[in-house]
Amino acid sequence: MSVDRRIWEHPVLTWDRGEPVKFTFDGKGVVAYKNETIAAALYAAGIMSFTQSSILHRPRGPFCMIGKCSQCLMRVNGIPHVRTCITPVEEGMVVETENPHESEFPTPVSSLEVERKTLSYDVIIVGAGPAGLSAAISAAKAGAKVAVLDQSPYPGGQLVKQTHKFFGTKESHAGTRGVDIADVLLSEVRDHENVDLYPMAQAVGYYAPEGMLTAVRTDGVNRYTLLMMKGRRYIVATGAMERTLAFPGNDLPGVMGAGAAQTLMNVFGIRPADEVLIIGAGNVGVIIAYQAAQAGIKVKAVIDILPKTGAYLVHAAKIRRMRMPILLRHTIKAVYGDGKVESAEIYEVDENFRPVPGSEKEIRVDGIWLAVGLTPSVEMLEKFGARMKFVPELGGYVPYRTQYLETSAPGVYVAGDASGIEEASTAIMEGRIAGTSAASSLGLGGDELEEERRQAMEWLDLFRESPDYKRIKQGIQKVLMGERV
Amino acid sequence: MSEEVLEGTDTIEAGYVTVEDLKRNDRIPPLKALERAPMPVIDCLEDIPCTPCRDVCPTKAIVMKNMIDRPEIDWDKCTGCTLCAQACPGLAINIVNYFFGKKSLRKPGYEDYSLVMIPYELTPIPRKGDVVDVYDRGGKLVGEAEVFSVIKSPKFGTVLVNILVPQGWAFEIKHVEVRRR
Repeated sequence: MSVDRRIWEHPVLTWDRGEPVKFTFDGKGVVAYKNETIAAALYAAGIMSFTQSSILHRPRGPFCMIGKCSQCLMRVNGIPHVRTCITPVEEGMVVETENPHESEFPTPVSSLEVERKTLSYDVIIVGAGPAGLSAAISAAKAGAKVAVLDQSPYPGGQLVKQTHKFFGTKESHAGTRGVDIADVLLSEVRDHENVDLYPMAQAVGYYAPEGMLTAVRTDGVNRYTLLMMKGRRYIVATGAMERTLAFPGNDLPGVMGAGAAQTLMNVFGIRPADEVLIIGAGNVGVIIAYQAAQAGIKVKAVIDILPKTGAYLVHAAKIRRMRMPILLRHTIKAVYGDGKVESAEIYEVDENFRPVPGSEKEIRVDGIWLAVGLTPSVEMLEKFGARMKFVPELGGYVPYRTQYLETSAPGVYVAGDASGIEEASTAIMEGRIAGTSAASSLGLGGDELEEERRQAMEWLDLFRESPDYKRIKQGIQKVLMGERV
Repeated sequence: MSEEVLEGTDTIEAGYVTVEDLKRNDRIPPLKALERAPMPVIDCLEDIPCTPCRDVCPTKAIVMKNMIDRPEIDWDKCTGCTLCAQACPGLAINIVNYFFGKKSLRKPGYEDYSLVMIPYELTPIPRKGDVVDVYDRGGKLVGEAEVFSVIKSPKFGTVLVNILVPQGWAFEIKHVEVRRR
């Protein structure tokens, strides 16, 4: 392959890519590295179009890169609809684009092996991000037998793509880079023999009569294990999903969520684009602009329709001094290109968010990154039967919960962004509260556990005193249930 | 419609900070303190739940009662040790050794030069002797300068690029990029 979009110089990150691996994509050879997923390897080789829209056959590229959208589905070794963004490459793998129009049934796959396993745990946690890992550590310290499931091959949630040091205090690992906090939490989890970590295991259902959670673990593209897991308590820490925006061309390959760009740049060391426009000048937008510069990508502009950036001033200032323009009261009109992003048109708006005539500007870019907010991923909570409410301040549908983060489904707790969009630091503290509460409700732990929970709750209260948290606090009030211990 | 050079919105609401903003917030160290030691210039102008600068300070010169408070500096206690600049997650702290030329360097022609230490997390990381372009907080080119030294502590992982500049630039500048080495 002549195209190689891999990054070889970075001020913060180094990548353990592993040995070279060869596979085929639509009959052509692709050289990848063992620790890459299929989608990452294809992007590195300059392939941006992964699938097609079903009626107009418009090309589509990956949007989320964390196994949540459906824009990277491909046929792998004959198996249809494989999420290529979270499936590691294997030597000799046969990867093919699917034709969504095709009316025949998928060909039976003879080489498929499915094993079944029945398992029991005190606490089963869905999601191995900052909330899930922290919950696991707290519950394990109290002596609970814990399982943590994550659909990704690399646990750590969104921490693993953060090159900046975090705000907060010592208690929340402040001053440490997100990617390093993931390592700290994972090594603490591994220090506990009573925690089983299941990467590449996707929770798919909960069967109330049996009290059983089912998950499918990928052991290789043709090998799966159906995990039938009984937990005495469950903690849902499934994080969030990035939002998109409606504008012509928003489905062109090269338009992606900010988190997807971060995954490519920072997890895999692959340049998603050479020149980008970032939509949204909140914290995610300006932080990813800085990360783009670290990865050698030119940011043409960060635009936001609001008259003020929603980002912390220090983060916004970092990119301003590097001559990256933040254009307020600007929004996207359309994205153009033949099969992939080639340019974008933006325009200014007035106080009433109406277009200012004649303010259109065309910008040549090959990437559009959307940093326009997140929505909690609550599907598992719905399966557990937790009562939900739409709370705009928290990003969408979220579960009612007690102050100890137990939902209306008894024994089912929530932590992190799945309870409402906040930050990794708050996710860590919520994980501790859910983990200690789940363990304590099983009669485990003692005064120390109670003290850990008290400190986490106090910390959250102090953190949320920040003026930026006023709305979030109001949102939480809307779904706070009376005490239950 | 045409392709244009994009100019960012020049307000603090768009992340554009000026020295005036720092002055208004008492962020410029007093001369008396600068005569005694290098001093931090902390571009932290809003309430952030963040405490590493306070926690790392060996002389408790950075005061912050609650985690969301802004750092306040006790200029008399600060020794100019640079730990806060290395620890700050926002890369918001420069250290200014205002009288470096006169007191430490003692090189003819450099009497009115300061040594400004800037936290850095980009590539290429400047090296001693490099000539760098120097920018202010809004990204305007101020001029060029020589890299006097580069400090990297393994504990914090943030490099401090130390550049020699005329005293008049000491509080204006916030960013450098390698021009030639």
